[in-house]
Amino acid sequence: MPVDPNAATQSWPAPEPERGPSPVRYLIPALVAAAVAVGLGAYGKVHDPTGTAFNLAGFSSTGAVKSWLATAAFFFALVQLVSALMLYGRLPGPRWSGTLHRWSGRVAFLLAVPVAVHCLYAFGFQSYESRVLWHSLLGCFFFGVFSAKMLLLRWERLPGWLLPIVGGLVFTALTILWLTSALWFFRTFGVTT
Amino acid sequence: MKRSGPLLTLLAGLLLGLFMLSLNATTGEKPTSSYVKPPSTGKPSTKASPSTPPARTSAPPSPSPARTPVPEGVYTGRTDDDSSAVAITVRGDKAIAYVCDGRNIESWLQGSVKDDGSLRLTGKGGASLEGRAKEAKAIRGTARVGSGSYPFTIKKSKKSSGLYRANSTVAGAKIEGGWIVLPDGKQVGILRRDGKPSPAPAIDPETGAVTVDGQQLTARPVTP
Repeated sequence: MPVDPNAATQSWPAPEPERGPSPVRYLIPALVAAAVAVGLGAYGKVHDPTGTAFNLAGFSSTGAVKSWLATAAFFFALVQLVSALMLYGRLPGPRWSGTLHRWSGRVAFLLAVPVAVHCLYAFGFQSYESRVLWHSLLGCFFFGVFSAKMLLLRWERLPGWLLPIVGGLVFTALTILWLTSALWFFRTFGVTT
Repeated sequence: MKRSGPLLTLLAGLLLGLFMLSLNATTGEKPTSSYVKPPSTGKPSTKASPSTPPARTSAPPSPSPARTPVPEGVYTGRTDDDSSAVAITVRGDKAIAYVCDGRNIESWLQGSVKDDGSLRLTGKGGASLEGRAKEAKAIRGTARVGSGSYPFTIKKSKKSSGLYRANSTVAGAKIEGGWIVLPDGKQVGILRRDGKPSPAPAIDPETGAVTVDGQQLTARPVTP
């Protein structure tokens, strides 16, 4: 076995070079995000849209239910934005702004899930108008990038810019989703319940 | 250290989604809710419960509950005088019908199915449709649209749907279309541009895709 005699002696075991988390940390969330987004889109495309689904008591239509759920989710997304700015010290915030951020995010996500289920079940992935196409694309993207953010959160010592960027993507996607659905619904059919 | 909170959040969302999905697939058992499952065409309900949420997913809904004397499904055919086409979609105790001559006479009618197998549907402008289930999965009845009276006997379609509707806006014009896909594959439909009727362009019965004035729309199966 040839050994380079001039090689620098190494302590054993070789010290871990000081570097950031291994790329696997990013690979898994990225892959999961892609799988979620593509999976939702494929389901929406393949599944035969039923045109309708269950309704909640007290609302005139599923469109109204979804619009109000989405509006509530968007409200909590705004709380997310503000509490994130507090966490990063850009806004003065209380000590519990971390808890606020976590729980408003959970609520927003859980409010968005039934809306997405109805969208996928009743309408599927559609592209007959640019509004609808963007809504379909971003709907899939939203749940993908949200999954990525949740998985990234499990790691500490991430690059400082990563979470704000991913979180910003989640927020932007939800905002456009709301603009292309609930706002459109309220403008078209009026603010009804 | 790994935090588990975000993972739990994801799992909660996943479970909630699956729970809603299974709720969607089973609400057909409730008579008041709008039934969602496409009419079963012999396929077992494979997507009824993809997971094990604590939902009421034990028994997949039977395609035609015993209380419905009119078998659920889509009935399509021509009127006795061959002038128009009629389609009726029966879902639970509700039915929606479309009568269309393919040129300028059309009517959407809605109503209920009685326990004795009779239907009584009404539409805009005093349109009405009375029918009764017959053996061999057929409905015999008469539609009154405008000044005309159209007796018909229509049969249950083998496909999952033969009645489609589309609503959209193309180039600023409000588009409303209705299509009946007959058992022989022929289509009868009317497309209204801002209320003005004209023969409808053909749809792809597989996907519902139709091109109106250069823009692609999707016609959807109609359910009551």
